[in-house]
Amino acid sequence: MIELTLQLLSFIAAGLLVVIGLGGMLFLDNLIKKIIAFTLLSDGVNLALVSLGYVEGGIVPILEPGSSYLNFPNEAALIFGPGIVLTNIVIGVSTTAILIALTMVLYRRYGTLKASKVLKGERK
Amino acid sequence: MTETVTNLWSIPLLLIIPILTAIVVNFLYGKVKAIRVVAILSSLALFAIAVISPYGYHWFTGQPAVLLNGGYTYSVQIFAWRLSLELYFGYMQQIMIAVMSLLLIFVVAISTKVMSKNMGTYIGLIFLIYMSSAAIIMVNDFYHLWIAVEIGSLLVAGLVAASGESISQKAALKYTFFSAISGAGLAIALALILGITGYPNVSDAIVSMHINNIQGMQGILYVAFGFLVLSWIYAGGLAPIHPLKSDVYGASFPHATVMLQTQSKLMLVAIGLIILRVFGTLPFAKEVMLGISVITMMVGVVMALLQTDFRWTLAYLIISHSGLVTVGISLGTISGIIGGMFQAINDVLYMSILLLCCEAIYYYGKGTSIKSVSGMAKKAPWLAFAAVVGAFAASGIPPFNGFQSEIILIQASLASGLPEVAVVILMVSVTTFIALFKSIYCIFLKADSTPETEQAQSRQGSIPVPKVLYLSLGVLIVLVVLIGVYPQLATDFLNDAAIKVVSMPWVP
Repeated sequence: MIELTLQLLSFIAAGLLVVIGLGGMLFLDNLIKKIIAFTLLSDGVNLALVSLGYVEGGIVPILEPGSSYLNFPNEAALIFGPGIVLTNIVIGVSTTAILIALTMVLYRRYGTLKASKVLKGERK
Repeated sequence: MTETVTNLWSIPLLLIIPILTAIVVNFLYGKVKAIRVVAILSSLALFAIAVISPYGYHWFTGQPAVLLNGGYTYSVQIFAWRLSLELYFGYMQQIMIAVMSLLLIFVVAISTKVMSKNMGTYIGLIFLIYMSSAAIIMVNDFYHLWIAVEIGSLLVAGLVAASGESISQKAALKYTFFSAISGAGLAIALALILGITGYPNVSDAIVSMHINNIQGMQGILYVAFGFLVLSWIYAGGLAPIHPLKSDVYGASFPHATVMLQTQSKLMLVAIGLIILRVFGTLPFAKEVMLGISVITMMVGVVMALLQTDFRWTLAYLIISHSGLVTVGISLGTISGIIGGMFQAINDVLYMSILLLCCEAIYYYGKGTSIKSVSGMAKKAPWLAFAAVVGAFAASGIPPFNGFQSEIILIQASLASGLPEVAVVILMVSVTTFIALFKSIYCIFLKADSTPETEQAQSRQGSIPVPKVLYLSLGVLIVLVVLIGVYPQLATDFLNDAAIKVVSMPWVP
């Protein structure tokens, strides 16, 4: 029961991180703060994915000598969630790097980090 | 050609060669001739692989599908668990990757002629975009789909930013911010489908949904559907986020936009078909997709009418014609899906003609605005001819390829009892004609004497147009006419995929 509650709490925390991140990305005006909000969003998604793989009373999904092959599929935590998280971390880092690089270039050009000024349309 | 039962050799090559080329051309920084040779040879090799490859799978577990009774099968027709991340190369993948490879050859050849600084990095990005697009069209699991979409998005941002103008850097930043949201959504959709079915493989997920009663989880399915549709909208630049994608198209070099729009169309087809296979039986799923498609078509073409720069007219027309691709897929019928996929191929070809014309106009006229460039027909009659052919094809006028796919789409809409969609398709064709010929008239036929044009002429010397650009235009025009006269050259490749989606959705 406690584990189930922990999983639920974990999902709630993930949901909060996603909402805060999304809100920050949409409503904050500072580009750096937007990038930080993106990392929160990404962390929220990662937490949700890890929580998804939880199996009540489960074991680490590694077959060791002496392990029961028969019960392994039912007992082992789902491996795919953490697998996706690893990839998501790499993608998150790459996205952050690109966002920071573009923000730096635009900051040099406009001298401000305000999204409302930097991203203002210039096409006639 | 036969379908192999072992892991297909060509699938890894189609992904690894572009990656290796991207690495090599980066290392060859500054050595222009070496970069040119490596890039062109690689693109030729990719085209050859796409054309000569047999059909088959690449299983990441190295095992065939497991039958419901525990046995194994290599037959794709049988209902079985695939239990692996897999890529599939079939008829539809072949023609799409072959067309993309042909465009890659042209884009690489033009890039090596016109790019002066950062050429290695720039060409590396083009090859990586090719890789992500090829992966997306071959993918049959959610994991690779998600990775390919994410990588593709970051590469688009990189390629747009590479043009070095502030407008392109802004477009890249906005696009990357939204890619973060859409990517997170796609990851959640993947997690939800995994949670419901337990399988990352698209075929397995569909089989699981067929076997297990998941009616009680329809709410979760709708959430997953919503997130997948969000990524579909984002990948293809459909409404309501079309301004982001049109900025991306308009702010890049036109030859780079050739690859970007190809990537978008392939993503629209690949993700659209997966949505249809997995969620096609959900009530209102097709209607939602159809609604988005129709709005995209109309918004795109209206925005195109308002533009005064040929480059931006094309950017919005690409968006509008993405709606034509998705309309066919959203109908969910065999003829609709064939029409959608055929439209994607045709669209990629005729838009490439127009984009390359746009690039040449820039070299000749030092701009692409209809206010500052005029009288081009005298200076470049062949260019005027190419632009007119591209415009006719885009407007769905026979005997060009656009006509053939649009007539299939109109027939499919009527057969599905949706005459209003057929009317919208016709309106898009007519409006495309008006939008394009407004620009073509001003740029090519209007007298060359306004103060703006004189000012533009005096700004700098003309930039030489690379011969390879004319060669590319020639080949594309031949293809546009050939497919227009013999549509079965393309549709024969597409029937199989459309039948599978409708009749056997668990088969990739």
